[in-house]
Amino acid sequence: MILDRRSITVLILLVTASLAGSAQEQDTVASVTRGAAMSLYAEDNDQNCLRCHGKLVYTITDTVSGLSRKELMAEHNFISSDAYYNSVHWSFSCLDCHSEGFKSFPHAIETRFETAWSCIDCHGYDPNYAQYKFEEIDAEYQKSIHYTATDGAFTCWQCHDAHYYNPLARESGSGRENILKSNEMCLHCHGNPDIMGLVTEKELTMVLPRHEWLPDPDRHLAAVRCIDCHTRMNDSILVAHEVMPADSAVNDCADCHSQNSILMGTLYKYASMESRDQKGFINGVIFSNDSYVIGANRSKFISLTGMIIIALVLAFAGVHTVFRVIIKPVKKYYES
Amino acid sequence: MSHNFYHYPVWVRLWHAMNAILCLFLIVTGFSMLYSDPDNALVVKFQRAVAIHNVCGVLLTISYTLFLFGNLFTPNGRHYLLRIKGVGQRLWQQGYFYAFGYFKGEKAPFPVSADRKFNPLQQLSYVGVMYFVLPMLFITGWALMFPEFILKKFLGLSGIFLTDQFHVILGFLVVIFLFIHLYVSTMGKSPVSNFRSIVTGWQESH
Repeated sequence: MILDRRSITVLILLVTASLAGSAQEQDTVASVTRGAAMSLYAEDNDQNCLRCHGKLVYTITDTVSGLSRKELMAEHNFISSDAYYNSVHWSFSCLDCHSEGFKSFPHAIETRFETAWSCIDCHGYDPNYAQYKFEEIDAEYQKSIHYTATDGAFTCWQCHDAHYYNPLARESGSGRENILKSNEMCLHCHGNPDIMGLVTEKELTMVLPRHEWLPDPDRHLAAVRCIDCHTRMNDSILVAHEVMPADSAVNDCADCHSQNSILMGTLYKYASMESRDQKGFINGVIFSNDSYVIGANRSKFISLTGMIIIALVLAFAGVHTVFRVIIKPVKKYYES
Repeated sequence: MSHNFYHYPVWVRLWHAMNAILCLFLIVTGFSMLYSDPDNALVVKFQRAVAIHNVCGVLLTISYTLFLFGNLFTPNGRHYLLRIKGVGQRLWQQGYFYAFGYFKGEKAPFPVSADRKFNPLQQLSYVGVMYFVLPMLFITGWALMFPEFILKKFLGLSGIFLTDQFHVILGFLVVIFLFIHLYVSTMGKSPVSNFRSIVTGWQESH
């Protein structure tokens, strides 16, 4: 199925609606998974914030007149408490990251201009997070077209909402799920001109027509992450972040379907390491190393040369055997 | 006149048998991965080939370590000590024998004896395989299981790709060695006498 612009928009709306739906079902935060730990925080100030921001419909009361009315929370200001308390940042209070200005309501105008923390602000140069290489990720991001073409308006948040962040690439047990979620991040902007308009004046180009040159585009788009072709490969971090301009993207079949494939670095190395980390050496490497890239590690020259030499050895042995049968050298030796 | 002498102690025969079985599995599964094709019934299914190859590779590493200890602490190790002086002359003599002297009914220039297990050509190839090819196969094979230790780039090429290619080349060398080894083994007193020796331990000399 080829998705057109409308389909992409519908897809995103469906994703958004499903999030909103689950949030409405969670009218209170009582049913979240980490309830015990959450209560420590929720009773402080999260509960106050989430009283409005945790609901798509909230109630506002005028304390002077005593009048109350229901209002819709703007979608981008809504926080699904369920998703938040299941994210890696679940233990933070709202005011750990947001300014004190949010304590009062209506919120002061300055709060709208508060700079959001980026990943590197908290995780950079911290030995506890050294394995994730945030510094290298940040350096890549600053070289990416996302950063250079938007004067930095594009931040980590455009792809990674800290309220809901989970290490998908590390923890997803399914390659397909990983691909789907990863591509959803890209389509969130690249399939929606309004959201893309928040960071650039550039007109949105249609994703699918640009990929029609691919043989069997549906299978490619379902089986490959956008970033596999659109980032400069770096096999020392899990997910490459240097998104390149569209005209620099991979467009040569041989880049993936050949020896010395760019997929070798990312798929082999990380799939192998992650599998080992999750399942241990015996189960993760010995028995289920799925990260061999078929065809990518084959050199026709080496295979051909090896087979020719083996054939020559066998031919030589064959000729030698024929002479042995004709001449009978061992018999000759003992007779002499 | 021929006579028999005890030539292969039990540990050498056990190690040799284990080595042979593991190498056969590794070669079959290695080729299966290299020429992987789901529609080809001649090759082992890819995922199964990967698992068998990895298990055999680990076992061969253990078996090889035992072999190294055996060579260090028993007299078997002396057969693997190359004497450089006059090596060219000795290799030529042995090569000439295989190509011509053997057919003329000449006596082998370096016959097997209790003190000499290998002729010069065998010794050179066995030393090369046991002390260079196999260790490099182990290093590259284990590196592919721990890819974080592989250089990211070398001469502009992916370190993983180069390691893999080197592993494949070394694998081909082992296959070539195996064919030559098997063929030369048929050149005993009878085509099967050397095979019998490595099973019983007793060598027929002639």
